Amino acid sequence: MNVWELIIQQPLTNVLIVVAHFFGDNFGVAIILLTILVNLALLPLTLSQIRSSKRMQDLQPKLAEIQKKYGKDRQKLAQEQMKIYKESGIKPAGCLLPMIIQMPVWFALYQSIMLALAAVPEGLLNLARYLYPWPVVFSSLPLNPYFLGMNLAQPNFILAILVGASMWIQQKMSATPTDDPRSAASSQMMTWMMPLLFAFLALSFPSGLSLYWIASSLIRIILQYRVTGWGTLRRKASTGQSGKKYVTFESEDAKKTTAKPKPKDEVIITDKESLEKSRKKPSRFSKFFEGRDDDEQSGE
Amino acid sequence: MENTEKKKNHNKTAGLIALLVAAVIAIALFGFSCVSGLTPIGWSGGVESNGVLYVGSLEGRLVTIDLIDESRQWAEPLKYPEQSGLFGCSAASACGGGTSRVPVYATPAVSGNLCYIAGYNGKIYAYNTTNLATRWIFPREGYLEALVGGMVIEQGKLYIGCSDGVIYALNSETGDILYQYKTEDKIWGTPTLADNTLYIGSFDKNLYALDADDLTLKWTFTAEGSIFTKPLVENGTVYIGSFDRYLYALNAIDGTLKWKYMADNWFWSQPVIVDGTLYAGCLDGFVYVLDPATGTEVAQPVNLKSALASTPVIYENYIIFAVHEGFVYKIDLDTLEPLLIASFESTLDGPLTLHEGVVYLQTNDAVLQRIDTSTGALLPPIYLTTQ
Repeated sequence: MNVWELIIQQPLTNVLIVVAHFFGDNFGVAIILLTILVNLALLPLTLSQIRSSKRMQDLQPKLAEIQKKYGKDRQKLAQEQMKIYKESGIKPAGCLLPMIIQMPVWFALYQSIMLALAAVPEGLLNLARYLYPWPVVFSSLPLNPYFLGMNLAQPNFILAILVGASMWIQQKMSATPTDDPRSAASSQMMTWMMPLLFAFLALSFPSGLSLYWIASSLIRIILQYRVTGWGTLRRKASTGQSGKKYVTFESEDAKKTTAKPKPKDEVIITDKESLEKSRKKPSRFSKFFEGRDDDEQSGE
Repeated sequence: MENTEKKKNHNKTAGLIALLVAAVIAIALFGFSCVSGLTPIGWSGGVESNGVLYVGSLEGRLVTIDLIDESRQWAEPLKYPEQSGLFGCSAASACGGGTSRVPVYATPAVSGNLCYIAGYNGKIYAYNTTNLATRWIFPREGYLEALVGGMVIEQGKLYIGCSDGVIYALNSETGDILYQYKTEDKIWGTPTLADNTLYIGSFDKNLYALDADDLTLKWTFTAEGSIFTKPLVENGTVYIGSFDRYLYALNAIDGTLKWKYMADNWFWSQPVIVDGTLYAGCLDGFVYVLDPATGTEVAQPVNLKSALASTPVIYENYIIFAVHEGFVYKIDLDTLEPLLIASFESTLDGPLTLHEGVVYLQTNDAVLQRIDTSTGALLPPIYLTTQ
């Protein structure tokens, strides 16, 4: 057993089996719980990454401006960009570093899920060498692969669709809004490509992995919402038929009605009166996220 | 000028996207490649009858080898149900591997002029021994769940356990189903027949003793872990290993516990008894040497340093074990000294076959390796693939 397996993979696998045992031998629940636990452990890093991305997004207009101004002089452009980053207290690698640090943990988590599933005889045999000498671990195996009537050891079409959908929402929320058609096109492409790719992978691998992807995406959506709101997901929806169904928060009309920051919970506002009311009486859902502004301020 | 810049930007964007997609694919492939045991491969052993060795090849078909002239004969490849899943993934194949080859774990069986093989595709096939023409297939329509354990044939009946948790008794001549018995979880183990009683372990943690005539239940024994091991029945005692790390000795009459012995990992392979001593290989890499009557250690365990999943064979005064990491040892029964006689760049988890002093085993490249047990010399291998 190498260092990676000894320090990361083996403990995670055993924890997964123990969690499954204490939740009625339900492997699906174990996957979801462990995904939540790992996300909680990585929460500071994830939030830091999302905030860095958000601050980078906020700088886009300024960056676009100097791009226009110094586009031909690359040296000057780089200098100006660094100056803006420095003034805003942003490190360009700030959103990449936490992601890189988290990667090994994600690898280990899904490796552990695949290991613990032991869907085929070789898998079960392989699993034996990762087990701690705890009676609960030995007596729990092989794990019951059924969750809500689905066999987590087999690919599942519904879960694959959910993988794609949840990933699309997450991508959409974190996409950088831009007026540049070229950037918008590439951003749009990424928003579709990643979910499609993962949905395809989900159709080719045991669906226990899909469950992990879905749980991860949902957690990520919640965190993203907490920091940036619905992002481009909300904007897209609101620009569709403004005046008939929704108020466009970015519109001049909406800006005049209030100087308060827009609420970021999922409340569909159909008229200005309701908009006023909703801001006077925050919903329970928005109260849950009261710490949002503090977080944003502290991060900047 | 502006067009050139546009092109540059487009190229840059396309490059970035390609890089990202490549990274995701690389991550996925890297991650999955690090977890072995996602794809079913198979580990069928061999059985010798009238100078012919019958093996389920990793290519997914029955192969016969004439041990005198080394000529080979292949049966039709086993098949998965057609259009059984998206992107060609079969439900039984657990996907991930993306292969249409049917793994074979069960060692073939021979009875009279018929030979039998059970596939991971959930079908049992009976062939004529002379020309490997198909005599019957069970079930005729559709597929059972994966068949991992081997079969036993006695008095015109074929017994086998299935991943659907059912023990089937078939007419060995016609493939008609005679009796069946349902357990609470899947069965990957091979049954043992002794004194008209069929013993078989299930993942529901029970060992079942069934009447071989009609599969009615005689008794059950509940362990603390699932049971994979093929039971050993000797002198009125049933020896069975479990995933709870215990080796159990039970009264064959009523299933009451005689003794149990705990190791550090699962007892996966069938133990053997030689000259009144029980030798049990364990996945913790040790061979435990016990008194079969009391379960007490009669000697220090022999450390072979790698998981013992393969069923051993006995030759003269030696017991021969293959370990997971590809080494084959023979242990002198007097001194209990292990001697390395062969090593392969392959995992060895399938059972060994012994015939006239030669050990046969199949390596991961679908090659039948042969070891002369007296000298430890490797004889020329026999290729089990058709190409």
